[in-house]
Amino acid sequence: MEKREVTFRIFRFNPKRDEKPCYRDYKLPVPKGMTILEALQFIKDNLDPTLSFRAFCRSAICGSCAVKINGFPKLACKTQVLNEVEKFGTDILTVEPIDNFPVIRDLIVDWEPAIEKLREVYPYLIPDPEVVPHTLEEESRVYPGELKKFDIFTDCILCTSCYSACTAVKIDEEYGGPFQLARSYRFAVDPRDALKKERAKVGLAFNMWNCVRCEKCADVCPKHIAPVDGIMKLRGLSIEIGKRDNPGARHVMAFYKSLLESGMLNEVLLPLRTKGIKGIIENLPLGVMMILKGKAHSPIVKPIDEHETLVGVMKAAMEVE
Amino acid sequence: MAKFAFYPGCAAKGASKELYESTVAVAEELGIELLELPQFSCCGAGVLEEIKDVMDIAVNARNLAYAEREGLNIVTVCSTCLLVLRKAKFHLDNDDELREGVNEILSRFGLRYEGKVEVKHFHWILLDELGEDGLRERVKRPLSGLKVYPYYGCHTVRPESVLGYEPSENPQSLERIIRALGAEVALGERRLECCGFHAFWPAPQLSMKLTGMNLKDAKISGADCIVTPCPLCHMNLDANQKRALKAIGESFQIPVLHLPQLVGIALGIDERRLGLQRNIVPVRC
Repeated sequence: MEKREVTFRIFRFNPKRDEKPCYRDYKLPVPKGMTILEALQFIKDNLDPTLSFRAFCRSAICGSCAVKINGFPKLACKTQVLNEVEKFGTDILTVEPIDNFPVIRDLIVDWEPAIEKLREVYPYLIPDPEVVPHTLEEESRVYPGELKKFDIFTDCILCTSCYSACTAVKIDEEYGGPFQLARSYRFAVDPRDALKKERAKVGLAFNMWNCVRCEKCADVCPKHIAPVDGIMKLRGLSIEIGKRDNPGARHVMAFYKSLLESGMLNEVLLPLRTKGIKGIIENLPLGVMMILKGKAHSPIVKPIDEHETLVGVMKAAMEVE
Repeated sequence: MAKFAFYPGCAAKGASKELYESTVAVAEELGIELLELPQFSCCGAGVLEEIKDVMDIAVNARNLAYAEREGLNIVTVCSTCLLVLRKAKFHLDNDDELREGVNEILSRFGLRYEGKVEVKHFHWILLDELGEDGLRERVKRPLSGLKVYPYYGCHTVRPESVLGYEPSENPQSLERIIRALGAEVALGERRLECCGFHAFWPAPQLSMKLTGMNLKDAKISGADCIVTPCPLCHMNLDANQKRALKAIGESFQIPVLHLPQLVGIALGIDERRLGLQRNIVPVRC
């Protein structure tokens, strides 16, 4: 079989011994179909037995082999070397430990900070005694329409790829993290759960409004889950249970109001509607600059044509079960 | 040349009117016909999903239906509108039950979504309709010597499963346009990072820090200016530049252009028609 020479530039670091990390190059012939994990194993078996990495199932099920390939977190066992070579147009692939975690050694990271946050969101079903029968003789039914709401989120294998890519986690240590908040949502809409929508309060405690919607979690998930979608829905549940006195929720309501009024966002009223007087004061210098530059417009927005069809569609959609 | 239903989005219709002006000017110069439908509403920027996902999808199905009625594909200049419209389309096209339910609502207002309409970004159609060579031929004022930092904006490329124009991990569309205009690409590390715009209201410090880091990366790369196809990124990078740099303890100025502004300069279009005077950080040509 035809093979291609590929250089693996691998992050090496033993915090107990090394002052700082370094990168070491390993060149090997790669046949079509070879995975990153197979390449790492080849290196360990033939070139450098000291190379450390985690792996187990080799079938994208256990979630233990996530590493960063040319800057993006991926399961080593699910990623083919030559596909990456082609995508990045290079014969050199950089392999590093995933971000947002302390390194234990080489490509192995300490998951504890993320797992601790997971523990704190009560990542399990708390049975609702009114729904879940007391004996095993009776069934606890979940209907297809109910399952559809959270089915995809049950596919998470805790590989932490999303957590490592998360923009909010990088800046805000207190932020809950994508898979943790999505897990919260998964139980919040499970008809058997006792807490249900109240779980949105856990999301609030974990700064869920700080999600920047960068969609990285949706992009890197090896199971094609979009944790960001769960986070946005969990925010929605917080509004539903009346947690509206915060800029995030007020910002949402400002959009809703704008659409009902004219069909277009009223940008001029957005600071006031989202943060009250504080919003105006904070953004005053910017507002003045915008007026001077001719960017500002009137706070009265002309309604779009056939605005009544928009209002009708919105109202009808709100009534859908 | 092709004709599209133009979906400018609230930013271009509001505080980023220079984006609206430059898009219209560039399209006119290149013979791309843009028909703005007066029935188009705000896409909800994704936040409508936080009230009710079906409403978000129904509102955008309405937008898609108006374009379908005209028999035109949609072109937008806002990356968040792009994502929201494409996401709605993605769900509608892949879920028969949802599509039927939404169509039942639309039918009460004489509308219907069939799934025929496509939603594209303005810079995609520049590449698809003209290509790099076609664009290069139209350049009257090559931007030689200008070093441009391509800043994509999250919703221009992610998630790839919904946007799909190019690989989200290594997109090249902006680089291709920059080179076709005769300019040089400034190589940076944060071209695909987030500007934090969507967390600006709940977490301004976080948002400003991210924008500051991106601006600094552009500066380090030796760029003369930044170009972005997203007006929301532009808002943070340009209008909030001073505040963003302050958040990371820096102070400098770097001009930030909307993609059609950069293209327009190279096409030799008058600066005022490109709204360059409206950019907060001054642009000197």
